[in-house]
Amino acid sequence: MAIIHRTWEPVRNARPAAIEREVNARLVRTAAPRSRSFLTLRLALILAALLASSQFQRPLHAQSQSLATQDAAQPDNDKPVPIFTGSAGYITDFTGGSPDLHPIASGVLLIPIGDRWLIESRDSFEVDMVQEPGRSGFHGLLQKEVDYAQADFIANPYLTITVGRFLTPFGIYNERLYPVWIRNLQSDPLILPIGIGPSNASTGAMFRGGFSASQSVTVNYAVYFSALSKVTPVDSERTAGGRAGLFFPKLRLEVGGSFQHRLQDERSNLFGAHAIWQPNSLPLDVRAEVARSREGSGYWIEPAYRLSQLPFLRDEMRRTQIVARVQQFWVGPSANDALPAVNSQVFEAGVNYYFMDGLKGSFNYGRQFSSQGNVNVWTMAATYRFVLPFERGGNQQ
Amino acid sequence: MNKRRILVALSALSLASAVFAANQETKQAPAIAAAAQEQQPTADADAPEPATPPAPANAKPTPRSIEAAERIEGEKRFRTNCGRCHQAPHKFPPRTMATVIRHMRVRSMITDEDQRLILRYMTQ
Repeated sequence: MAIIHRTWEPVRNARPAAIEREVNARLVRTAAPRSRSFLTLRLALILAALLASSQFQRPLHAQSQSLATQDAAQPDNDKPVPIFTGSAGYITDFTGGSPDLHPIASGVLLIPIGDRWLIESRDSFEVDMVQEPGRSGFHGLLQKEVDYAQADFIANPYLTITVGRFLTPFGIYNERLYPVWIRNLQSDPLILPIGIGPSNASTGAMFRGGFSASQSVTVNYAVYFSALSKVTPVDSERTAGGRAGLFFPKLRLEVGGSFQHRLQDERSNLFGAHAIWQPNSLPLDVRAEVARSREGSGYWIEPAYRLSQLPFLRDEMRRTQIVARVQQFWVGPSANDALPAVNSQVFEAGVNYYFMDGLKGSFNYGRQFSSQGNVNVWTMAATYRFVLPFERGGNQQ
Repeated sequence: MNKRRILVALSALSLASAVFAANQETKQAPAIAAAAQEQQPTADADAPEPATPPAPANAKPTPRSIEAAERIEGEKRFRTNCGRCHQAPHKFPPRTMATVIRHMRVRSMITDEDQRLILRYMTQ
Protein backbone atom coordinates (compact mmCIF):
# COMPACT_ATOMS: atom_id res chain seq x y z
CA MET A 1 0.00 0.00 0.00
CA ALA A 2 2.79 2.40 0.87
CA ILE A 3 4.60 1.78 -2.40
CA ILE A 4 1.45 2.50 -4.42
CA HIS A 5 0.87 5.67 -2.47
CA ARG A 6 4.40 6.93 -2.92
CA THR A 7 4.47 6.25 -6.68
CA TRP A 8 1.05 7.80 -7.14
CA GLU A 9 1.97 11.17 -5.62
CA PRO A 10 4.28 12.50 -8.38
CA VAL A 11 1.79 11.54 -11.11
CA ARG A 12 -0.97 13.50 -9.42
CA ASN A 13 1.30 16.48 -8.99
CA ALA A 14 2.11 16.43 -12.71
CA ARG A 15 -1.55 16.87 -13.76
CA PRO A 16 -2.72 20.12 -15.33
CA ALA A 17 -4.60 22.42 -12.98
CA ALA A 18 -8.00 21.90 -14.67
CA ILE A 19 -7.73 18.14 -14.42
CA GLU A 20 -6.58 18.50 -10.82
CA ARG A 21 -9.67 20.57 -9.97
CA GLU A 22 -11.94 18.01 -11.63
CA VAL A 23 -10.25 15.16 -9.79
CA ASN A 24 -10.56 17.01 -6.50
CA ALA A 25 -14.23 17.76 -7.16
CA ARG A 26 -14.88 14.06 -7.88
CA LEU A 27 -13.04 13.11 -4.74
CA VAL A 28 -15.21 15.48 -2.71
CA ARG A 29 -18.37 14.13 -4.35
CA THR A 30 -17.42 10.53 -3.73
CA ALA A 31 -16.12 11.20 -0.22
CA ALA A 32 -19.31 12.83 1.01
CA PRO A 33 -21.61 9.78 0.69
CA ARG A 34 -18.87 7.57 2.12
CA SER A 35 -18.49 9.78 5.18
CA ARG A 36 -22.29 9.92 5.57
CA SER A 37 -22.47 6.18 5.34
CA PHE A 38 -19.65 5.87 7.83
CA LEU A 39 -21.42 8.24 10.21
CA THR A 40 -24.60 6.20 9.85
CA LEU A 41 -22.69 3.08 10.70
CA ARG A 42 -21.21 4.67 13.79
CA LEU A 43 -24.62 5.85 14.92
CA ALA A 44 -26.00 2.36 14.29
CA LEU A 45 -23.21 0.92 16.38
CA ILE A 46 -23.93 3.23 19.31
CA LEU A 47 -27.68 2.58 19.01
CA ALA A 48 -27.03 -1.16 18.97
CA ALA A 49 -24.97 -0.85 22.14
CA LEU A 50 -27.64 1.22 23.87
CA LEU A 51 -30.28 -1.29 22.77
CA ALA A 52 -28.18 -4.09 24.17
CA SER A 53 -27.71 -2.19 27.41
CA SER A 54 -31.44 -1.63 27.83
CA GLN A 55 -32.10 -5.26 26.95
CA PHE A 56 -29.92 -6.53 29.75
CA GLN A 57 -30.40 -3.63 32.12
CA ARG A 58 -30.71 -4.64 35.73
CA PRO A 59 -29.40 -3.48 39.08
CA LEU A 60 -25.65 -3.83 38.83
CA HIS A 61 -25.27 -5.71 42.07
CA ALA A 62 -28.23 -7.99 41.61
CA GLN A 63 -26.39 -11.14 40.67
CA SER A 64 -28.72 -13.32 42.67
CA GLN A 65 -31.78 -12.95 44.81
CA SER A 66 -29.98 -13.56 48.09
CA LEU A 67 -27.18 -11.16 47.28
CA ALA A 68 -29.62 -8.51 46.12
CA THR A 69 -31.40 -8.78 49.46
CA GLN A 70 -28.13 -8.37 51.25
CA ASP A 71 -27.18 -5.37 49.13
CA ALA A 72 -30.46 -3.72 49.94
CA ALA A 73 -29.61 -4.01 53.59
CA GLN A 74 -26.12 -2.63 53.06
CA PRO A 75 -25.56 0.76 54.69
CA ASP A 76 -25.22 3.86 52.55
CA ASN A 77 -21.63 4.56 53.60
CA ASP A 78 -19.95 2.95 50.60
CA LYS A 79 -21.35 5.25 47.93
CA PRO A 80 -18.42 6.38 45.82
CA VAL A 81 -17.05 9.88 46.29
CA PRO A 82 -15.02 11.97 43.85
CA ILE A 83 -11.33 11.48 44.44
CA PHE A 84 -8.12 12.95 43.19
CA THR A 85 -5.33 10.43 42.96
CA GLY A 86 -2.12 10.20 41.09
CA SER A 87 1.55 9.54 41.26
CA ALA A 88 4.85 11.32 41.22
CA GLY A 89 8.28 10.04 40.42
CA TYR A 90 11.83 11.14 40.07
CA ILE A 91 13.75 9.00 37.63
CA THR A 92 17.44 9.35 36.94
CA ASP A 93 19.17 7.35 34.28
CA PHE A 94 22.64 7.23 32.86
CA THR A 95 22.60 6.14 29.23
CA GLY A 96 26.07 5.51 27.94
CA GLY A 97 27.40 7.66 30.78
CA SER A 98 25.27 10.74 30.11
CA PRO A 99 22.83 11.57 32.91
CA ASP A 100 19.16 12.26 32.33
CA LEU A 101 16.84 13.60 35.05
CA HIS A 102 13.20 12.87 34.62
CA PRO A 103 10.71 14.21 37.17
CA ILE A 104 7.11 13.26 36.41
CA ALA A 105 3.75 13.87 38.07
CA SER A 106 0.37 12.53 37.03
CA GLY A 107 -2.98 13.49 38.46
CA VAL A 108 -6.07 11.32 38.07
CA LEU A 109 -9.49 12.78 38.71
CA LEU A 110 -12.34 10.34 39.28
CA ILE A 111 -15.90 11.62 39.52
CA PRO A 112 -18.54 8.92 39.97
CA ILE A 113 -22.09 9.98 39.12
CA GLY A 114 -24.94 7.79 40.26
CA ASP A 115 -24.58 4.05 39.99
CA ARG A 116 -23.49 3.87 36.39
CA TRP A 117 -21.36 6.81 35.42
CA LEU A 118 -17.73 7.65 35.93
CA ILE A 119 -15.93 10.71 34.62
CA GLU A 120 -12.18 10.17 34.69
CA SER A 121 -9.18 12.07 33.53
CA ARG A 122 -5.42 11.81 33.83
CA ASP A 123 -2.96 14.56 33.06
CA SER A 124 0.79 14.16 33.08
CA PHE A 125 3.49 16.72 33.57
CA GLU A 126 7.05 15.68 32.95
CA VAL A 127 10.41 17.14 32.15
CA ASP A 128 13.27 15.40 30.43
CA MET A 129 16.32 17.27 31.68
CA VAL A 130 19.73 16.76 30.10
CA GLN A 131 23.06 18.52 30.18
CA GLU A 132 23.51 20.76 27.18
CA PRO A 133 26.93 21.57 25.75
CA GLY A 134 28.22 24.94 26.86
CA ARG A 135 25.65 25.35 29.61
CA SER A 136 25.81 24.39 33.22
CA GLY A 137 23.18 22.34 34.96
CA PHE A 138 20.30 20.37 33.47
CA HIS A 139 17.73 21.79 31.10
CA GLY A 140 14.51 20.57 29.61
CA LEU A 141 11.02 21.63 28.64
CA LEU A 142 7.91 20.84 30.59
CA GLN A 143 5.71 18.46 28.63
CA LYS A 144 1.99 18.42 29.37
CA GLU A 145 -0.25 15.62 28.23
CA VAL A 146 -3.91 14.77 28.62
CA ASP A 147 -3.53 11.02 28.89
CA TYR A 148 -7.25 10.46 28.99
CA ALA A 149 -10.45 12.38 29.64
CA GLN A 150 -13.39 10.07 29.29
CA ALA A 151 -16.93 9.40 30.37
CA ASP A 152 -17.78 5.79 31.21
CA PHE A 153 -21.31 4.48 31.25
CA ILE A 154 -21.69 1.07 32.87
CA ALA A 155 -24.59 -0.07 30.72
CA ASN A 156 -24.93 -3.52 32.22
CA PRO A 157 -22.70 -6.08 33.96
CA TYR A 158 -21.11 -6.96 30.63
CA LEU A 159 -20.81 -3.70 28.77
CA THR A 160 -19.26 -0.33 29.54
CA ILE A 161 -19.49 2.44 26.98
CA THR A 162 -16.68 4.96 26.98
CA VAL A 163 -16.59 8.20 25.02
CA GLY A 164 -13.95 10.87 24.90
CA ARG A 165 -10.21 10.50 24.95
CA PHE A 166 -9.09 7.12 26.24
CA LEU A 167 -5.92 5.07 26.47
CA THR A 168 -5.73 2.91 23.38
CA PRO A 169 -6.33 -0.71 24.36
CA PHE A 170 -3.58 -2.24 22.25
CA GLY A 171 -1.61 -4.70 24.33
CA ILE A 172 -1.54 -4.35 28.11
CA TYR A 173 1.29 -1.99 28.94
CA ASN A 174 -0.30 1.29 27.89
CA GLU A 175 -3.57 0.74 29.72
CA ARG A 176 -2.59 -1.23 32.77
CA LEU A 177 1.10 -0.88 33.53
CA TYR A 178 2.12 2.59 32.35
CA PRO A 179 1.96 4.65 35.62
CA VAL A 180 5.36 4.94 37.29
CA TRP A 181 4.12 3.49 40.58
CA ILE A 182 2.78 0.35 38.87
CA ARG A 183 5.49 -0.52 36.37
CA ASN A 184 8.27 -2.83 37.52
CA LEU A 185 10.97 -1.23 35.39
CA GLN A 186 10.94 2.49 34.77
CA SER A 187 11.95 2.30 31.12
CA ASP A 188 9.28 1.82 28.46
CA PRO A 189 9.31 -1.35 26.38
CA LEU A 190 10.67 -0.73 22.89
CA ILE A 191 7.42 -1.79 21.25
CA LEU A 192 5.20 0.41 23.43
CA PRO A 193 4.56 3.03 20.69
CA ILE A 194 3.12 0.38 18.36
CA GLY A 195 -0.64 0.67 18.14
CA ILE A 196 -1.27 3.22 20.87
CA GLY A 197 -1.36 6.36 18.76
CA PRO A 198 0.75 9.52 18.74
CA SER A 199 0.23 10.36 22.41
CA ASN A 200 -0.76 6.97 23.81
CA ALA A 201 -4.46 7.69 23.45
CA SER A 202 -7.41 7.64 21.07
CA THR A 203 -10.36 10.00 20.71
CA GLY A 204 -13.73 8.45 20.03
CA ALA A 205 -15.89 5.73 21.49
CA MET A 206 -15.16 2.37 23.02
CA PHE A 207 -17.21 -0.62 24.15
CA ARG A 208 -15.61 -2.84 26.73
CA GLY A 209 -16.35 -5.25 29.50
CA GLY A 210 -15.56 -8.48 31.25
CA PHE A 211 -17.67 -11.46 32.18
CA SER A 212 -17.29 -15.01 33.37
CA ALA A 213 -17.81 -17.43 30.52
CA SER A 214 -17.60 -20.33 32.96
CA GLN A 215 -16.17 -21.10 36.39
CA SER A 216 -12.72 -21.41 34.90
CA VAL A 217 -12.63 -18.71 32.21
CA THR A 218 -13.23 -14.97 32.31
CA VAL A 219 -13.47 -13.06 29.06
CA ASN A 220 -12.56 -9.41 28.66
CA TYR A 221 -12.94 -7.36 25.51
CA ALA A 222 -12.63 -3.83 24.16
CA VAL A 223 -13.58 -2.51 20.73
CA TYR A 224 -13.10 1.09 19.75
CA PHE A 225 -13.14 3.68 17.04
CA SER A 226 -10.86 6.67 17.13
CA ALA A 227 -11.12 9.86 15.10
CA LEU A 228 -8.25 11.87 13.73
CA SER A 229 -7.21 14.76 15.94
CA LYS A 230 -4.26 17.01 15.31
CA VAL A 231 -4.88 19.26 18.30
CA THR A 232 -1.97 19.08 20.72
CA PRO A 233 -1.96 17.67 23.39
CA VAL A 234 -5.01 15.59 22.47
CA ASP A 235 -3.83 14.32 19.13
CA SER A 236 -4.91 10.91 17.92
CA GLU A 237 -5.12 8.78 14.80
CA ARG A 238 -8.13 7.56 12.87
CA THR A 239 -8.27 3.89 13.74
CA ALA A 240 -10.59 1.06 14.63
CA GLY A 241 -9.59 -1.94 16.63
CA GLY A 242 -10.07 -4.15 19.59
CA ARG A 243 -8.53 -6.36 22.18
CA ALA A 244 -9.78 -9.57 23.72
CA GLY A 245 -8.41 -11.62 26.55
CA LEU A 246 -9.10 -14.89 28.30
CA PHE A 247 -8.31 -15.15 31.99
CA PHE A 248 -8.07 -18.53 33.68
CA PRO A 249 -8.45 -17.83 37.41
CA LYS A 250 -7.30 -21.29 38.55
CA LEU A 251 -4.09 -21.02 36.55
CA ARG A 252 -3.89 -17.26 37.16
CA LEU A 253 -3.07 -16.91 33.51
CA GLU A 254 -4.32 -14.30 31.07
CA VAL A 255 -3.72 -14.50 27.35
CA GLY A 256 -5.08 -12.17 24.75
CA GLY A 257 -4.67 -10.46 21.45
CA SER A 258 -5.05 -7.00 19.96
CA PHE A 259 -5.90 -5.80 16.51
CA GLN A 260 -5.97 -2.37 14.97
CA HIS A 261 -6.76 -1.13 11.50
CA ARG A 262 -5.51 2.32 10.60
CA LEU A 263 -8.11 4.30 8.68
CA GLN A 264 -5.59 6.79 7.39
CA ASP A 265 -2.25 6.94 5.61
CA GLU A 266 -1.19 3.41 4.72
CA ARG A 267 -4.36 1.84 6.15
CA SER A 268 -2.22 -0.87 7.61
CA ASN A 269 -3.12 -3.55 10.13
CA LEU A 270 -1.40 -3.97 13.49
CA PHE A 271 -1.39 -7.10 15.59
CA GLY A 272 -0.46 -7.77 19.18
CA ALA A 273 -0.58 -10.53 21.76
CA HIS A 274 -0.07 -10.49 25.51
CA ALA A 275 0.17 -12.84 28.45
CA ILE A 276 0.30 -12.47 32.21
CA TRP A 277 0.96 -15.42 34.48
CA GLN A 278 1.17 -15.57 38.26
CA PRO A 279 1.82 -19.12 39.40
CA ASN A 280 -0.10 -20.12 42.49
CA SER A 281 2.90 -21.51 44.31
CA LEU A 282 5.35 -18.63 43.77
CA PRO A 283 5.25 -14.83 44.29
CA LEU A 284 6.21 -14.49 40.63
CA ASP A 285 4.70 -12.30 37.91
CA VAL A 286 5.51 -12.99 34.31
CA ARG A 287 4.31 -10.49 31.73
CA ALA A 288 4.93 -10.56 28.02
CA GLU A 289 3.83 -8.79 24.89
CA VAL A 290 4.35 -9.18 21.16
CA ALA A 291 3.50 -6.53 18.56
CA ARG A 292 3.71 -6.51 14.80
CA SER A 293 3.22 -3.57 12.47
CA ARG A 294 4.64 -2.02 9.31
CA GLU A 295 6.72 0.29 11.50
CA GLY A 296 8.38 -2.52 13.36
CA SER A 297 7.88 -5.65 15.35
CA GLY A 298 9.12 -6.95 18.62
CA TYR A 299 8.47 -8.53 21.97
CA TRP A 300 9.28 -8.20 25.63
CA ILE A 301 9.19 -10.66 28.52
CA GLU A 302 9.32 -9.44 32.09
CA PRO A 303 9.48 -11.77 35.10
CA ALA A 304 9.33 -10.22 38.58
CA TYR A 305 9.86 -12.19 41.78
CA ARG A 306 9.00 -11.10 45.33
CA LEU A 307 11.54 -12.44 47.82
CA SER A 308 8.91 -13.11 50.47
CA GLN A 309 9.66 -16.83 50.52
CA LEU A 310 13.23 -16.39 51.71
CA PRO A 311 13.65 -17.56 55.31
CA PHE A 312 15.70 -14.59 56.57
CA LEU A 313 15.04 -10.85 57.02
CA ARG A 314 11.41 -11.59 56.34
CA ASP A 315 10.13 -8.06 56.68
CA GLU A 316 12.73 -6.68 54.28
CA MET A 317 12.46 -9.57 51.86
CA ARG A 318 8.70 -9.31 51.48
CA ARG A 319 9.21 -5.68 50.46
CA THR A 320 11.83 -6.58 47.89
CA GLN A 321 11.22 -7.58 44.32
CA ILE A 322 13.74 -8.54 41.70
CA VAL A 323 12.80 -8.00 38.11
CA ALA A 324 14.23 -8.55 34.66
CA ARG A 325 13.14 -7.78 31.13
CA VAL A 326 14.34 -9.12 27.79
CA GLN A 327 13.20 -7.42 24.63
CA GLN A 328 13.92 -7.29 20.94
CA PHE A 329 12.82 -4.94 18.20
CA TRP A 330 13.04 -5.24 14.43
CA VAL A 331 12.59 -2.18 12.25
CA GLY A 332 9.79 -2.31 9.66
CA PRO A 333 9.51 -0.73 6.20
CA SER A 334 7.72 2.40 7.50
CA ALA A 335 9.32 4.95 9.77
CA ASN A 336 8.13 5.98 13.22
CA ASP A 337 10.12 8.48 15.24
CA ALA A 338 8.93 6.97 18.50
CA LEU A 339 10.46 3.59 17.67
CA PRO A 340 14.16 2.68 17.51
CA ALA A 341 15.75 3.50 14.15
CA VAL A 342 17.68 0.22 14.01
CA ASN A 343 17.17 -3.33 15.18
CA SER A 344 17.76 -3.41 18.92
CA GLN A 345 17.99 -5.80 21.81
CA VAL A 346 17.80 -4.77 25.44
CA PHE A 347 18.32 -6.72 28.63
CA GLU A 348 17.46 -5.13 31.97
CA ALA A 349 17.54 -6.36 35.55
CA GLY A 350 16.81 -4.54 38.74
CA VAL A 351 15.37 -4.46 42.19
CA ASN A 352 12.33 -2.68 43.65
CA TYR A 353 11.89 -1.97 47.33
CA TYR A 354 8.44 -1.08 48.65
CA PHE A 355 9.00 1.19 51.67
CA MET A 356 5.25 1.39 52.18
CA ASP A 357 2.18 1.09 50.06
CA GLY A 358 2.58 3.55 47.22
CA LEU A 359 6.22 4.46 47.92
CA LYS A 360 8.77 2.53 45.97
CA GLY A 361 12.47 2.79 45.26
CA SER A 362 13.95 1.20 42.14
CA PHE A 363 17.40 0.52 40.86
CA ASN A 364 18.21 -1.31 37.67
CA TYR A 365 20.85 -1.94 35.09
CA GLY A 366 20.33 -2.47 31.39
CA ARG A 367 22.42 -3.16 28.32
CA GLN A 368 21.31 -2.07 24.87
CA PHE A 369 22.64 -3.86 21.82
CA SER A 370 22.19 -2.27 18.40
CA SER A 371 24.13 -1.42 15.27
CA GLN A 372 24.40 2.16 16.55
CA GLY A 373 26.51 0.93 19.42
CA ASN A 374 26.11 -0.96 22.65
CA VAL A 375 25.49 1.10 25.77
CA ASN A 376 24.87 0.56 29.45
CA VAL A 377 21.82 2.13 31.06
CA TRP A 378 21.66 2.63 34.82
CA THR A 379 18.38 3.79 36.30
CA MET A 380 17.41 4.94 39.77
CA ALA A 381 13.90 6.00 40.66
CA ALA A 382 11.62 6.88 43.53
CA THR A 383 7.88 6.78 42.91
CA TYR A 384 4.93 7.68 45.06
CA ARG A 385 1.17 7.20 44.72
CA PHE A 386 -1.41 9.31 46.59
CA VAL A 387 -5.19 9.33 47.00
CA LEU A 388 -7.21 12.35 48.14
CA PRO A 389 -10.98 12.03 48.53
CA PHE A 390 -12.94 15.21 47.81
CA GLU A 391 -15.92 14.68 50.05
CA ARG A 392 -16.20 14.23 53.74
CA GLY A 393 -16.79 10.56 54.38
CA GLY A 394 -14.12 9.49 51.96
CA ASN A 395 -11.71 9.59 54.88
CA GLN A 396 -13.98 7.84 57.34
CA GLN A 397 -13.47 4.19 57.96
CA MET B 1 -16.28 -1.31 2.23
CA ASN B 2 -13.51 -2.53 4.50
CA LYS B 3 -14.50 0.00 7.15
CA ARG B 4 -18.06 -1.21 7.03
CA ARG B 5 -17.01 -4.81 7.42
CA ILE B 6 -14.75 -3.98 10.33
CA LEU B 7 -17.40 -1.99 12.17
CA VAL B 8 -20.10 -4.56 11.52
CA ALA B 9 -17.76 -7.28 12.78
CA LEU B 10 -16.84 -5.30 15.90
CA SER B 11 -20.45 -4.47 16.73
CA ALA B 12 -21.47 -8.08 16.16
CA LEU B 13 -18.66 -9.16 18.47
CA SER B 14 -19.73 -6.83 21.27
CA LEU B 15 -23.39 -7.78 20.95
CA ALA B 16 -22.58 -11.46 20.81
CA SER B 17 -20.45 -11.06 23.94
CA ALA B 18 -23.30 -9.37 25.76
CA VAL B 19 -25.81 -12.03 24.71
CA PHE B 20 -23.43 -14.80 25.65
CA ALA B 21 -22.73 -13.17 28.98
CA ALA B 22 -26.41 -12.80 29.76
CA ASN B 23 -26.85 -16.52 29.26
CA GLN B 24 -24.05 -17.19 31.68
CA GLU B 25 -25.36 -14.94 34.41
CA THR B 26 -27.68 -17.44 35.97
CA LYS B 27 -24.80 -19.86 36.40
CA GLN B 28 -22.90 -17.49 38.69
CA ALA B 29 -25.30 -17.17 41.61
CA PRO B 30 -25.27 -20.84 42.58
CA ALA B 31 -21.48 -20.69 42.85
CA ILE B 32 -21.56 -18.19 45.72
CA ALA B 33 -24.44 -20.01 47.35
CA ALA B 34 -22.45 -23.22 47.16
CA ALA B 35 -19.41 -21.48 48.61
CA ALA B 36 -21.53 -20.17 51.45
CA GLN B 37 -22.86 -23.67 52.02
CA GLU B 38 -19.30 -24.99 52.22
CA GLN B 39 -18.22 -22.07 54.38
CA GLN B 40 -20.93 -22.44 56.98
CA PRO B 41 -19.36 -25.21 59.10
CA THR B 42 -15.93 -23.55 58.83
CA ALA B 43 -17.26 -20.19 59.98
CA ASP B 44 -19.01 -21.80 62.91
CA ALA B 45 -15.86 -23.72 63.75
CA ASP B 46 -14.02 -20.42 64.24
CA ALA B 47 -15.99 -19.84 67.41
CA PRO B 48 -14.27 -21.28 70.50
CA GLU B 49 -17.34 -23.07 71.85
CA PRO B 50 -20.20 -23.41 69.42
CA ALA B 51 -23.46 -22.78 71.24
CA THR B 52 -25.39 -24.78 68.72
CA PRO B 53 -24.51 -27.98 66.94
CA PRO B 54 -23.11 -27.62 63.43
CA ALA B 55 -25.74 -27.03 60.80
CA PRO B 56 -26.65 -29.95 58.60
CA ALA B 57 -25.18 -30.07 55.14
CA ASN B 58 -28.47 -29.17 53.48
CA ALA B 59 -29.18 -26.17 55.74
CA LYS B 60 -29.83 -22.78 54.12
CA PRO B 61 -26.81 -20.44 54.19
CA THR B 62 -27.06 -17.78 56.89
CA PRO B 63 -26.04 -14.12 56.38
CA ARG B 64 -22.94 -14.78 58.46
CA SER B 65 -21.84 -17.74 56.39
CA ILE B 66 -22.52 -15.81 53.18
CA GLU B 67 -20.45 -12.91 54.46
CA ALA B 68 -17.57 -15.19 55.37
CA ALA B 69 -17.73 -16.94 52.02
CA GLU B 70 -17.81 -13.64 50.19
CA ARG B 71 -14.83 -12.34 52.15
CA ILE B 72 -12.79 -15.38 51.18
CA GLU B 73 -14.00 -15.17 47.61
CA GLY B 74 -13.27 -11.43 47.55
CA GLU B 75 -9.70 -11.98 48.72
CA LYS B 76 -9.25 -14.67 46.13
CA ARG B 77 -10.56 -12.44 43.39
CA PHE B 78 -8.39 -9.56 44.54
CA ARG B 79 -5.32 -11.74 44.27
CA THR B 80 -6.26 -13.16 40.89
CA ASN B 81 -7.51 -9.92 39.29
CA CYS B 82 -5.84 -6.95 40.96
CA GLY B 83 -2.65 -8.89 41.66
CA ARG B 84 -1.93 -9.06 37.95
CA CYS B 85 -0.80 -5.41 38.08
CA HIS B 86 -0.80 -4.32 41.72
CA GLN B 87 1.12 -5.34 44.80
CA ALA B 88 -0.24 -6.20 48.22
CA PRO B 89 -3.67 -4.75 49.05
CA HIS B 90 -3.99 -1.36 50.65
CA LYS B 91 -7.34 -0.65 52.19
CA PHE B 92 -8.86 2.79 51.77
CA PRO B 93 -12.04 4.09 53.41
CA PRO B 94 -15.18 2.50 51.94
CA ARG B 95 -16.39 5.48 49.90
CA THR B 96 -12.96 6.08 48.44
CA MET B 97 -12.52 2.41 47.71
CA ALA B 98 -15.90 2.32 45.94
CA THR B 99 -14.63 4.93 43.49
CA VAL B 100 -11.30 3.19 43.02
CA ILE B 101 -13.00 -0.13 42.33
CA ARG B 102 -15.37 1.45 39.81
CA HIS B 103 -12.36 2.97 38.07
CA MET B 104 -10.61 -0.40 38.05
CA ARG B 105 -13.71 -2.13 36.77
CA VAL B 106 -13.55 0.06 33.68
CA ARG B 107 -9.76 -0.02 33.39
CA SER B 108 -9.07 -3.69 33.94
CA MET B 109 -12.43 -5.02 32.79
CA ILE B 110 -13.14 -7.09 35.86
CA THR B 111 -16.60 -8.55 36.00
CA ASP B 112 -19.52 -7.05 37.88
CA GLU B 113 -19.36 -9.83 40.43
CA ASP B 114 -15.61 -9.36 40.87
CA GLN B 115 -16.17 -5.67 41.52
CA ARG B 116 -18.77 -6.34 44.18
CA LEU B 117 -16.79 -9.04 45.97
CA ILE B 118 -13.47 -7.16 45.86
CA LEU B 119 -15.17 -4.01 47.17
CA ARG B 120 -16.66 -5.99 50.03
CA TYR B 121 -13.31 -7.59 50.83
CA MET B 122 -11.42 -4.30 50.65
CA THR B 123 -13.83 -2.47 52.91
CA GLN B 124 -14.21 -5.05 55.65
